[in-house]
Order: sequence, then structure tokens, then C-alpha cells
Amino acid sequence: MLAAGLAGTGAASRVRQASPGPVPPAGGVAIVMNSAGASISVVDMATHRLIRDVPVLREPHHWTLSPGGRELWVGDASGNTLFSLSPRTGTPISHRLLSDPYQLWVSPDSRRLVVNALRLNHVDIYDAATLSLRRRFYEPSMPSHLAYAPDSSMVYSTLQGSGSVVAIDLVKNEVAWRARVGPAPAGIVWHQGRLLVALMNANDIVMLDPVDGGVMRRIPTGRGAHVIAVAPDRRLIYVTNRVAGTIDALDGQSLRPLFRYVISGGPDCISFAPDGKLWISRRWADSLAVLDPANGRFEVVAVGRSPHGVFLSPMLDLFAENGRAALGTASL
Amino acid sequence: MALAGRLQGDVVVPLLYRLDLMQWEDIAFGWSLFSVYGLFQVLLTWAVCMPLEALRPIERWPARRVVVTDMLYTLIARVGLLPLVTFVLFYQVQVQVNGFLVDHGWIPPMLERLIPPLFGHPVLTFFAYAIILDFADYWRHRISHMIPAWYALHALHHAQRQMTFWSDDRNHLLDDLVSALWFGLIALLIGISPFQFPLLVLMLRFVESLSHANTRVSFGWLGERLIVSPRFHRAHHGVLAAGGQSCNYGAVLPWWDMLFGTADFSSEFVPTGDPDAPEALATGGYLAQQAAGVASLFGRLRRARKVPAGSSSAGIRG
Repeated sequence: MLAAGLAGTGAASRVRQASPGPVPPAGGVAIVMNSAGASISVVDMATHRLIRDVPVLREPHHWTLSPGGRELWVGDASGNTLFSLSPRTGTPISHRLLSDPYQLWVSPDSRRLVVNALRLNHVDIYDAATLSLRRRFYEPSMPSHLAYAPDSSMVYSTLQGSGSVVAIDLVKNEVAWRARVGPAPAGIVWHQGRLLVALMNANDIVMLDPVDGGVMRRIPTGRGAHVIAVAPDRRLIYVTNRVAGTIDALDGQSLRPLFRYVISGGPDCISFAPDGKLWISRRWADSLAVLDPANGRFEVVAVGRSPHGVFLSPMLDLFAENGRAALGTASL
Repeated sequence: MALAGRLQGDVVVPLLYRLDLMQWEDIAFGWSLFSVYGLFQVLLTWAVCMPLEALRPIERWPARRVVVTDMLYTLIARVGLLPLVTFVLFYQVQVQVNGFLVDHGWIPPMLERLIPPLFGHPVLTFFAYAIILDFADYWRHRISHMIPAWYALHALHHAQRQMTFWSDDRNHLLDDLVSALWFGLIALLIGISPFQFPLLVLMLRFVESLSHANTRVSFGWLGERLIVSPRFHRAHHGVLAAGGQSCNYGAVLPWWDMLFGTADFSSEFVPTGDPDAPEALATGGYLAQQAAGVASLFGRLRRARKVPAGSSSAGIRG
């Protein structure tokens, strides 16, 4: 019964092949991971209508683009499966065994895939081309979000259950440092040579020195700061505040708070559409908020239970023009 | 499920924030869903079973105080504490066991991987899971009658002489714990996730509650052989069926009783209860019943120790 396959070796074969798939709508599609619904919703971005639901196994949370951007990889955490979909249409291509892929992101140089296994308390480093496991790092509690140094030499993971961040040297394949940063750290991004980390059990984000993890500065936001998303032009930084039910917009240079938007229903991940709108998952409201930051109004798009990661197919153009770094701070 | 979202956003998350436990916020949403689905289960069951019990009762009682205790059991089991404990316990066990398996090079199994055609057919998958779990529950239930010490706890469920649709969750906490571990093991082997199928879980729990209802309802010759009816399950609660030698152990499907020779399809609606159970198990309040269950368990264990090896009376009336 237990012989389902080797864990995280990349040895499991692909079991499905892509069909040609439907023609994507002109405005693109939003591909939404319904973490408590075991499905992925594909939404027409122009009409906000649901095109279809793609079944997965258990608990899809986050996504990353494969090296080259031809596949959208979605991690099904308790399903222990990595799903591959067409990033243009959301059509399933294949799936393969992978241990607890909660949070995942391919490095800026496309050589590594780092997977945070939140449930099983380890950070896995895979070869992105072959998906073979290179090294498993056991961490104290709940590896959650991750960020890379722009040169792909380091990856930083927040450890939600132990109030710390771990820095892993991807060249030496070893832990560089672990540092306590504050209660329940979640979202993390690299910004202007520093790390920004959101603290879920506090009402601020902290700036860390990437050399040793020392806290350099605190920036107040709202209660339950969770995800930090840097706009593609890097002029604004958005922070979702889960407890307060708000989103704060900070100045990209000074990190000074500029605007606050009220988005109830547990605002979580943010993705940026080409028209400047923010597509935000509302974890407890089974919907997305499509926010126009210019006027603070938002439309609600119904999806599945507890939507988490959101991929917008026009982001492929960003990826093609500016590489993975243009996406790396947009959704983790 | 907007209500679960409100519960999560307005109550659970602010509480977790106050207690410095926000790292559990995502996982806690499972509990919010569980509780709200439980509340809907109770409301649906009440809306259907109340009229049935009023229109076609088997028995009428002048006083219904003991039924109120059963209501408390239902609320604790489906809406309150038990989902939380089960959830936290399962999560921890799952982390430990799955972590152990992964460390030894294995991905925990899953029914859809063992039977690949199920993948992509969630409703079909659910029914496959439901059948397997019902089969497992048949044996859990049957064994709980066979082992005297276990039945000492399970007798709390059987002691009720005023059996109604509220009686389904009338169980000793230790009995619930053993059940949770049993299903935890099965869930680990087949990788079930009940949160994927809340509507169908609600339907199955509804059948279980209905089967305890004080109502003169049977499903006819064929129906009785497809799904457990109030008449079929009442035979299991009959005064002559308490203890080691019982019948009709199935919770939702009567198939296992038919297969293993324990089915009783007689058309009688028999009186319920366990004449040998301590009176506190029948008419005590919630805490008195729990205490009597523990006392009964220890009494049974003491007696078992005094019985010479080889002459144990497992399988004999509990």
C-alpha cells in the first residue's frame, strides 16, 4: 500500500499528456488555486466569468513557471503532487509526485526549484530542469514563503512556526544563517538589496539585512501582515493584512504608507494585470477581488473554496520581456 | 460557504492573532468549515427528522430530559470541540507519519493513485472513499462489541432507551478517540480528504442520524438492502442486541452485514437500550455518563485481570 513512489526524487513518470486545449480568451485567463476545493479555477479576465474548474488531488496552493515558461507548475501540498498546466489556457498537461509542495518558485537563473514543505517542515532544493532532489533541509517549523537573491546564489524561506527566516546558500548547498525576525513571518521579497518580511502575528513588516538576517527597520502596516507584492514597475509595494482585512500600498522607495484599501474575506496573494488592476485572492470568501488601485473600487469574481495562488496569463508577457525577476515579487 | 468565512474572519482569526497563533490561521479554516458544515448537518437532520418523529413515532415519552443530553452530544461532536480536537490531533499525526514516510523515500499513498481512473472524477472518488470507510466502520463497530473493555465504553451509545435522531453522536469521548484513531489510520492508507466533499459527507451523516430516529420508517425490501434505515439500525439498538452478540452493525450501507452474516431484516421496531449497562449511562447527565463510562471500563479491565488466561470471555455479552 505504501509503495506509491519515491519521495521527491523526480523519478515518477508523467501520467498525462496535453491535449491541444481550448483557444484562450483575448484578454487572458486567471488561473486560481482553490486550496480547500481541490480544484483550479480558470477565469476569463475580461468577463470575469468562470471558464472551467480543473480537478486536482487535494490542496493546491501556489504556482511557478517552469524554466522557459512553457508550463505553469502548481503545487498540491497534501496531494504530494506537482501539476503542470498550460499557462495560456489552464489546460492540464501532466502531474508527478513531489513531497508536500506548498510554496514553490524557480530561481531567477532557472536552474533551481525550491519547494517549501510547510506541513512536513523541510525546504527542498530541486534541479529545475530534471526535478531531481539535490538537498533537503529540515527546518524547525512551517516553511512558508520564499525569495531569491537576484543572482540566484541564495534563497530565503520564512519559518512561520518558529518566527525566523532561513537563508540557504545555493552555491555551497548549505544553510548560511537562521535569524529570528518576529512572530509568524509569512511573505518575503527581495527589494533594493534588502529583504522585506511580513509578520502575521504583528502589524508590520520588517526589513532584513540579507547578509545575516538582522532586522534593520520596521514598517507599520495592518494587523496580520501576510503577503508583500512589489508592482512590476517597482514604484509601489502592496501588503495584504489578513486580520485587519486591508491592503496597504507603500512607496517603493521610502516604504512610506500611501494608501489603504479595505478588502474583507482574508486577502492573500496578489497578481498584477496589464491594465494596472490587482487580482487578489480572498481566502475565506471563495472569491477574488479585482481592485482598481486608482479609485479603490473592486469587483468580486467567484471561484472555488479558499482560493490562494493566482496566475494571470498576461504575466507570460512580463516573463518574456523581463525574465523571472519580473514575476518573482509579484505573487509569492 | 459564507458563514464559514465570517466565522473565520470575525472570530477565529482575531482570536488566533490575540493568542499569538497566527501560524495556524490557514489550517484553522478547516476547522471553521468543519464546524459550519456540522451546523448545517444538524439543521438538515432536525428539519427532516423532527416531523418524521412527530408524525410516525415508534414510542412516546412523557419526559425527554435524556434526549436533551443527546442534543448536547450532537453539538459537541459536530459543531464544537470534537472537530477541533480531531483536526489538531489528525494534523499532528499526519505530519509525523507522513514526515516519517517521506524521510524514508516514500510518498504517502492515495486512492486515486492506487486506482488511477478515479482521478478527475471527484464524485466517483468520493463514493469509493465512502464505501471503504463504511466497510472500515462496520469492523470498528463490530469489534467494539466483541472486546468487553471497548464495549464498556460503547455501552453509553446503547444505553439510551429514548433513542432519537439526536442519539447518533451519543458516544463516550474515549470511544470517539478510538474511532478517530481508527479512521486516521484508514485515512492515512487511502489519503482521504473529507473537506473536498462537504455536501456528500453531510448526506452520509444525515443517513446515520436518520437511522437513529424514533420513527416508524423502513425503506422497503430493496431499499433496506441498499441503505441503512431507521428500522434496520433500531434492531442493532434492541435490548436483546446489546453487548457482544449484536446485529446490523453497518452505519450507512447494510451490505457488510449481509456479506458477513450479521444482517437482521425482520420488520419489528424493537425497544432499545442495554439492560446490563449502569443506569447512569442511560439517564445521567453528560458528565455523569462520561464518568460512568470510565468506571465501567476500569471495572471491566479489573475483572478481565482476575479471569485466568485462556478463559477470557471476549465476544460474550459486554
